[in-house]
Amino acid sequence: MPLVKVNGIAVEVPPGTNMIEAAKKVGVEIPHYCYHPHLSVAGNCRMCLVDVEAGGRGPDIACNMAATEGLAIRTDTPKVTQMRKSVMEFLLVNHPLDCPICDQSGECRLQDYYMEYGQHDSRLADAKMGKGKRQDIGDQIVLDAERCVQCSRCVRFSDEVTGTGELRLFNRSNQTQIGIFPGVRLSHQYQGNLADICPVGALTLKDFRFKKRVWWLKESESVCGGCATGCNILVHHQENEVYRFTPRRNDEVNKSWICDQGRLSYKDVTSLKRLTGAKVDGQRAELPEAANAAALLLKGAKVGVVFGAKATTEANWAAVKLVRARLPNARAYVIEGNDPDAFTYQDEILVDSDKTPNRFGAALTASQLGSVGDAEALKAALASGEVDALLVLHDDVVGRLGVATPKALVYVGTFKNATSSAAAVVLPAAHYIEQPGTWINRQGRVQRLRKTVAPAGDSVADYAAVDAIGRAFGGAVIPEMPAAIFQELAAGVKALNGLTLKGLGHGGQLITLFAPSPGVDQPGQAAPAK
Amino acid sequence: MDVYPRILSRIWGVPGSHTLAVAEQHGAYNAARKALAMSPAEVTDVVLKSGLRGRGGAGFPTGRKWTFVPPPEKRGGKPVYLLCNADESEPGTFKDRFCMWNDPHQLIEGMIIASHALGVRRAYIYLRGEFEYVQRRLDEALAEAYAKGYLGENIFGSGFSFDLYTHLGAGAYICGEETALISSIEGYKGQPRLKPPFPAVKGVWESPTIVNNVETLAAVPWIIENGWEAYKAIGTEQSPGTKLFSCSGHIMKPGVYEIPLGTPMMDLLNKWCGGLRPGRTLKAIIPGGSSVPVMTPAEVAQANMDYESINKVAGSYLGSGGFIVMDDSTDMVDALTNLLRFYAHESCGQCTPCREGSAWMYNILCRLRDGLATEDDLVALRDLADNIHSRTICFFGASAAMPVQSFVTKFRDEFVARVESARAGLPAGLAVAK
Repeated sequence: MPLVKVNGIAVEVPPGTNMIEAAKKVGVEIPHYCYHPHLSVAGNCRMCLVDVEAGGRGPDIACNMAATEGLAIRTDTPKVTQMRKSVMEFLLVNHPLDCPICDQSGECRLQDYYMEYGQHDSRLADAKMGKGKRQDIGDQIVLDAERCVQCSRCVRFSDEVTGTGELRLFNRSNQTQIGIFPGVRLSHQYQGNLADICPVGALTLKDFRFKKRVWWLKESESVCGGCATGCNILVHHQENEVYRFTPRRNDEVNKSWICDQGRLSYKDVTSLKRLTGAKVDGQRAELPEAANAAALLLKGAKVGVVFGAKATTEANWAAVKLVRARLPNARAYVIEGNDPDAFTYQDEILVDSDKTPNRFGAALTASQLGSVGDAEALKAALASGEVDALLVLHDDVVGRLGVATPKALVYVGTFKNATSSAAAVVLPAAHYIEQPGTWINRQGRVQRLRKTVAPAGDSVADYAAVDAIGRAFGGAVIPEMPAAIFQELAAGVKALNGLTLKGLGHGGQLITLFAPSPGVDQPGQAAPAK
Repeated sequence: MDVYPRILSRIWGVPGSHTLAVAEQHGAYNAARKALAMSPAEVTDVVLKSGLRGRGGAGFPTGRKWTFVPPPEKRGGKPVYLLCNADESEPGTFKDRFCMWNDPHQLIEGMIIASHALGVRRAYIYLRGEFEYVQRRLDEALAEAYAKGYLGENIFGSGFSFDLYTHLGAGAYICGEETALISSIEGYKGQPRLKPPFPAVKGVWESPTIVNNVETLAAVPWIIENGWEAYKAIGTEQSPGTKLFSCSGHIMKPGVYEIPLGTPMMDLLNKWCGGLRPGRTLKAIIPGGSSVPVMTPAEVAQANMDYESINKVAGSYLGSGGFIVMDDSTDMVDALTNLLRFYAHESCGQCTPCREGSAWMYNILCRLRDGLATEDDLVALRDLADNIHSRTICFFGASAAMPVQSFVTKFRDEFVARVESARAGLPAGLAVAK
C-alpha cells in the first residue's frame, strides 16, 4: 500500500485512494462540495485545492488525486487558505444569502466553510443572477436554483444511482442553472437523498421544509425497519418528537442512501395506528394486569408461538426463554410473507421484497426450540386443534393467513391490525426507534437499535413485553439490561457466539450461518465460511 | 524576406487548389504513398525528429504526443482514434479555416499519415459550428479521395484501411479544448474533463485518442516527403518549421501569412503585414490569439515569432498565432472589456472560479468602461484574475485571466485614469487633466 503524507503526517492507504479520504484518515478535513464518496469524481467545485509537496504538481484538487507512493500534500499553507477563500467568494457571487428562510441553515456547507474561509468584507457590487425559485420538481423535492453551487452531485446521483437522469446543469457561464428536463418530474423512490447530498439549500425535502431549525435537533443512530435491507439511519429528534430520518453511511449496507418510504416512515412513530396501551378483551388495562391475563390464557393451553420477523432478536429470544421455562409443549412458527398493509414496491437498489427487518433473527431464535413451522403448518394445527392458543410477536398473523384464530390470542406489537383486533390480550410494544435491541438483515448482518426517544404511551420494549408475561408466570425470563440479554443470546445461539452488543459497533457485524441472499424466508444451510 | 519553402500555404491561391486534380498536380498524396510504405514506428520517428510542435496553441511536440498512446496489449481491446481539432474559435485566429478552405487534401493526407503511424482505423475532423461551409468543402474533398481509393479499404494497396469523417460542433469556443471536444463528439455537453486520465490513454469513447490541430496535421505530409532534416533546417532549434499567423487589427495588409518560426516580430508587422496605418504608432500586440498576455511596443521590438522568444521577452505565448495589432487609437479598457465579454460568454460554467469569475471580471470592466468603477474594483479585477488562473479544470480559466493580468499591469495608467475620471465625475472616457 502506498505511503502518502498529509501535512507531514504519513499514512498508508490502498492504492488509488483519493486524497480527501487519505486526509480524513489522519484527521485532516479537506473542504469540498462536489466530491461524494459514493458518486463519480466531478472536480468542479475547486474547494479541495491543495498544495503538492512531492509526487505531483500543484496546486491540484485532492478529490481527483490518487494516492501513489511518495505523494505529499499540504492543506495548512497560506496559499491553500487563500484558494479556499477565493472559491468561497466565487460561490457566493450569485448566491442569494437567504439563510434566514433557508431550511439548509445549520447544515449548509456554504455556511460552515464561510466561518473558516469567508472573505467577510464583501466586494460584490454587481447584481446577482436571478434563477428559478421554488420549483416543484418531484413528489418529495423543491428546487431553488439560485441557492445552487453547481456541484452536480444531484445530476450524478440521478445518472449513476437511480439511472433516471432527470436533472442537468443547463446553459453555461454564470448563467449555468440546475434544472429538470421539460415535462419530467422526479418519480423514483430515492428523491430524499437529493436533499441530503445537496451541500446547500437548492434541493430541500418538502416534508421537512419550514418544520424545524436543524440546530435544535439531536441525532441518534438507528436502523430502518421498512424492509430486510436494514438501512442505517439517523433519527433527528427534539424533546421526544421525531422530525426526520436521514441515511447514516454504511458502505456495506446502504452506502449513503435510503428510500423515500423509509425516510418518511418516521411518521409511523406518532401514527394513530400505534398501540399505546395494554388491552384485555378490548378493555384498556395496565401492563402487569394484561400480562397476567396473557399468562392465564397460555397456561396449560396448546400454545403456538409466532416468532416476529419485525420483533427484535431479543424479544424472540425472550419468547424462547418463556417457552423453555413455562410452556414446554409450545410449538414454534415463523410465518413467511408480508403483512397486508406492507408497501409493495421493490427494486435492485435498496428496497427488498421482504418487508420485515429481522426475518433471520426470528428464524434463528425459533429454531432453538427444534422444528419450526410455516404458515401452512400453523393453519393445519389451528384447524385440527393441535394449537388452541397463540402468542404472536408483531406479525399480523390474522391478516396474513386470513383464517380464524383461537380466542386465546396474545399479541405483542406496535401497530393496530387485524391480529390486534382479534387478540384477547394486547401488550403494546415500543416503536423500533424507541427501544434497544438488534435485528439481523438480509445479508446476515446483526445491527443495533437504540432508544432514541421515549416509548409512546404505555408501550415498552418488545422483549420487556414478552418478559412481562414471564413475570406473570412467576419470574423474569431474561435479564433487564439490553447488553446482558444480548450476552445471553450470543451465548445461547450458535451463529451469534462471540458477539457483544458493544462489539456490533456502528456498522453491525456479519454472521456467516446464513447464505446472504435477499428475500430468503427460511434459514438456509450453513454457508461455507469465507 | 529570406527565401524559405512554403509548407502549409504551398498551393494557396492556385485556382482550384481545393480540388483533388489540382492538388495532385502539385504532388498531393505522394507523401501518403511514401508513408504507407514505411512502418508506423518509422513515420512517428520522422515526425519526432522534425521537432514539429502542436499548432493549436500549447506547442507540445507532436511526435512525443503520438508516443503516449499505450501499446496494443495495454489498450484493453480498444481502438485508437485520431481527432483533428478544427474548432478554431480563438478570437484573432483564422489560419485553420484557410488551410481547410484552400488545401483540404493536405489535411486529409496528413491524417492518413498520422493514422498509419498511430494505428488508427477511424478519424474525425471536428469543426466549429460556424464552419458549416468549410465542412461542405471538406466533404467534397473526402468524396474525391474516397472515389480515388485514397481513403477506405486497402489504401494504395498497402493493406492499411482508414475512414475519415467530418463532425460539426454547435459553436462553443470551449470545444476546442481537447477533452471538451471529446465530450462534444460523444454527444454530451461540450465541457472539459478532468485529467488524468489523459486522452492518449482514455479519450473518445473511453479509447486512446490523439487530438491534433489542423495546421499540425497539415504539416505532416511535407515532413514525410522532404525529411525531418529539411523541416528542422527551417525556424529555430526549439521551434522548427514554419507557422501560419493570422494577422489582424490596425495593419495595412491583414491576412494569414506563413513564415519561418523565429522571424522577428517587427518583420512580421512591417514586411508581411504592411506596417501600421500612416501616422499611427504601435500601442500593443497580442501575439498568439486573444488568450495570451498582451505585449508592449518595447517587448515587440525584441521578440521573435517563436515559442521561446515571446515567452522570454514578454512572458507571453506564441499560442495559435493570432497576431492582433493595436495602434495608438486603441482604448485598452475598451479592448479588454470587449475581450472579456467573449470569455464571460464562453465559459462552459462547469467549475467555480471560471464560471463566476469570468463574468464578474466582465462586470467590473463594464463599470470601469462606463466610468462607474473605483480603485477597489481595479484591485479586485487583478485579484480575481489571479484567483482564476491555474485553479480550473481546463486552460480556459487561465485564458480569461491572462489578458486581464497583462492589460492591467502593462497599461495600468489607462485603467487608473478611468477610475480617476470616474471619481472626478467626468463622463466616461474623459481624463482628468494633469
